[in-house]
Amino acid sequence: MMKFGNLLIAGITTGAIYAMFAVCVSVWYRVSNILNLAVGDFAMVGALGVDNLYRVKGLPLPVAIITTLLVVAAFAYVYDQIVLRIAQDGPRRMDGIVVTFFFTFALSFFIDGVAKMLFGTDVHAAPALWNGDSLSLGSLHFERAGLLVLGCAVIIGGAFWVYIRFTLGGKALEASGENSVGARIVGIDTRRYRRLIFVGTAVIAAIFGIVESPITGFTYLSGATISLTGFLAAAYGGFRKPGRALLAGLFIGVLEAMLGGYVSPEYGDTVMYAILAALVLAWPRQLGFESAVGG
Amino acid sequence: MNGLVASSRRSAKRSARAAARVPRGLTPTALVAVVGGLFVLIWGQQYAGSVFVLAACYAIVTAGMAVQIGFSQQIAFSQSVFMGVGAYGVAMLNSHYNMPVLLATPIVLVGSALVALLLGSVVTRASGLALAVATLMLPLIAVGYVSGTGFLGGAVGAPLPGTLWPSSSASTTVALVGGGLIVIALLALAVFISARILTSDIGLELFVLGVDERTAAALGVRTPRRKLELFVLGCVFAALGGAAYAGTQQFVPETLVDPTAELALLIMLFIGGRRSVIGAVIGALVIQYLQGASNWVSVNILVVEGLLLTVVLLVDPEGLAGITATGVAWLRARLGSSSRLGGTTRPPKPPWPDGRPSRPGGIEVPVPDGAADSAEAAVLAGAIGLAEGTELANDTEITGITATGGTGRAKRTARITAGDSGRLGGGEAPEAALLEVRSVFKEYGGLSVLADITLALPERGLFALCGPNGAGKTTLLNVIGGSVPPTSGQVMLDGTDITKRPPNERFYRGVSRTFQAVHLIKGRTVLDNVAVACLASHTSSIVTRISRSRLDEAREKAASALADLGMADLAGREVSSLTLETQRMVELARALAPNPRLLLLDEPASGLSEEQRQRLAGLLAALADRTCVLLVEHDLALVAQVSERIFVLSAGRLVFDGGPSDFRSSPVVNTLLVGS
Repeated sequence: MMKFGNLLIAGITTGAIYAMFAVCVSVWYRVSNILNLAVGDFAMVGALGVDNLYRVKGLPLPVAIITTLLVVAAFAYVYDQIVLRIAQDGPRRMDGIVVTFFFTFALSFFIDGVAKMLFGTDVHAAPALWNGDSLSLGSLHFERAGLLVLGCAVIIGGAFWVYIRFTLGGKALEASGENSVGARIVGIDTRRYRRLIFVGTAVIAAIFGIVESPITGFTYLSGATISLTGFLAAAYGGFRKPGRALLAGLFIGVLEAMLGGYVSPEYGDTVMYAILAALVLAWPRQLGFESAVGG
Repeated sequence: MNGLVASSRRSAKRSARAAARVPRGLTPTALVAVVGGLFVLIWGQQYAGSVFVLAACYAIVTAGMAVQIGFSQQIAFSQSVFMGVGAYGVAMLNSHYNMPVLLATPIVLVGSALVALLLGSVVTRASGLALAVATLMLPLIAVGYVSGTGFLGGAVGAPLPGTLWPSSSASTTVALVGGGLIVIALLALAVFISARILTSDIGLELFVLGVDERTAAALGVRTPRRKLELFVLGCVFAALGGAAYAGTQQFVPETLVDPTAELALLIMLFIGGRRSVIGAVIGALVIQYLQGASNWVSVNILVVEGLLLTVVLLVDPEGLAGITATGVAWLRARLGSSSRLGGTTRPPKPPWPDGRPSRPGGIEVPVPDGAADSAEAAVLAGAIGLAEGTELANDTEITGITATGGTGRAKRTARITAGDSGRLGGGEAPEAALLEVRSVFKEYGGLSVLADITLALPERGLFALCGPNGAGKTTLLNVIGGSVPPTSGQVMLDGTDITKRPPNERFYRGVSRTFQAVHLIKGRTVLDNVAVACLASHTSSIVTRISRSRLDEAREKAASALADLGMADLAGREVSSLTLETQRMVELARALAPNPRLLLLDEPASGLSEEQRQRLAGLLAALADRTCVLLVEHDLALVAQVSERIFVLSAGRLVFDGGPSDFRSSPVVNTLLVGS
């Protein structure tokens, strides 16, 4: 029972990270019809950027964090203004799989390559924001960094929910996702929302990278794995539904921890991917796959 | 048929044949074989040559991906895994059983094909994103398996002593160059097979499948089978590339199967040009050379690949192949225009001397002024030529439902039993009924969309289905066409129960349809759009298309179907360049081309002008003489003008059926549809 409890805690912690990335992917997909396969790379830049500025360049931690986040935001803004504008707003509006997958896919490669140049190939992590031993409650152990991750997830997830549910901006966002042309006809600038959410989710991803990196450590290639899991969780949430994406992220995190703990530490992931594949094949429609992306 | 139409039909046939003069697939194959062969012979022993051979191994894989992912848009992330199956298979047979690589390769290919067939029969049940996500798990599972399996060398990788060149006593030079030449030969074979498939009649099926799976099924394509074949083809090509990799590199790294390898393959395909086989080969070359260059580029390969992919896709989503094609077309236009005295592309010549149909004693069909394309309009106006013996009521009152119909045809009797009254069968079985719908119900969740619909239609005639929005008209059409299964009830065609038959099988039995929104295949010509419905390849295997194609026959049939409608001159036009009316006419031509016995038309007049509707009315009236037409339409004047029997649906129930005169006077119809 103690093992189960600790596995559950670990699962929920990683699940919360997956869930946040999944929410970032699905919220932006609603607005832009593009899957952000670079979301994990922004997280990696957050973690390694803060580490570099703080440890190597010797900047104070708050300055390092703020500088990193500003750089991430500026980069995301410029990327939207140049690449996504040409791809989606130009005279030859592209659609289909090229836009849905391949621009952010190329972006992910680009960011990883730049990170390799700037930060090297070693494992690093941002400094722990909340130092000390893990907290214990009976026989259950809580990592401080894990609690921070959960806290951030609750705050940011809650803010998203409030924004989408209760503000005019959130309604406009929803409208852009339901019907982009219709939204523009009634005066919603869908491009502005695409840019806003892209920059916003990039910064959120970077924050999660900073908070989470003390647990696992990052290299310049860590982003792809995070993007992949975020993409998967978003996929199981039907891509357009942030709430379901969040649940799917938690489910995948807990499943991963349980399989690693009870089945096999080596083949746990293999079994998990097999289970996930079986789920898609068994209930494609119910999981929201059939309606999401075409061609 | 007058001489003009006959001659335009001949010209359409000529243009259909013109495309087939160069043997299919020979150009790219010869290019690969000659350039690749020379490169290996000259530089085979040097570093550049070894990179070239490695690139050729990847190009074998990407050539298959161009068919599966680029052309047919079946996104399955299975290539890196099967590259691993091929490479590890050869490595194991060679290092553990001393089998020569060249002998191990075909054995491994057969094994891969069997595994792919098993795996594919499970995963290709999924479509679109579900297929992508399910197969994305394959490299994730594979890398976990390989790294934990000592037999395969685990994370270290598996070396093998043998080479692709069979003689073990040969010098290094001979083994290098000979092995390289074998790889080039295999690549040429892969390119040949891919290019032959893409240019065949099945290639056209695959293109439609890629654009829209539902339309493909409605046009007779056996989509599950084609998807499975594509999956197996992609896997076997990948395994062949993997075997070539193992035989030339003499080492199989674990990274060959991981997701990064899969992504690298996708980058090659999309930089080169996803729909072009030769583009896929070039993409593999470009990426391997960038990775193999021992300078800043290869150190920062991720940045370079990311930038390159972004820039290429921004310039042209069809990659380097698309950019090249645009460039060649531009050059040709420049050269052509300088030699032809400023002659630009001429509009198609209308089949009539003055651009207007002049039928002796026939109808003056006005060509609208300021039409987007006068030739197009003229051709459409000529479509009325089909309506032999049809008198269009010139005084037709178009607004309201007071139209004076009168198609001048003898009315046929439609056997219709509405609601709960009649069960067909028993003593008064209607032996001549073509279509019978027997107490069909359709429910979505608790919502009843169709309730107890029973109707029967004879071999010939024009029947209309009307009703307010949401009455279930399109659903009934979909139930008859097979794209929506009824909750209960039966659909019989010619006395055979087809309720459980898929749409493609109904198509073979003579059920043909159009869609409410135009479902043409963008990026293809009018001729090919119609030819899709004339294919004789549905029951053939994809493999048979390497040797022969019957695309020309289909195009000839399509050409004559277009000529029948007076549209032969539009054959070479790309469909998205046409006006909505013409697109609807092309869709109608496509539905008519296979000579259907039952034609289902879903709002063919929507979006058309009054004048265009009158032309359509003439055409429909003529059609009713040779086939059974079921028309869903909102335009009540049109319906009353052309139909001999009209059904009205309301909230999923049949509330009216009768002839046009009853239809006009029926209080039910007036309340429901006219609002008075």
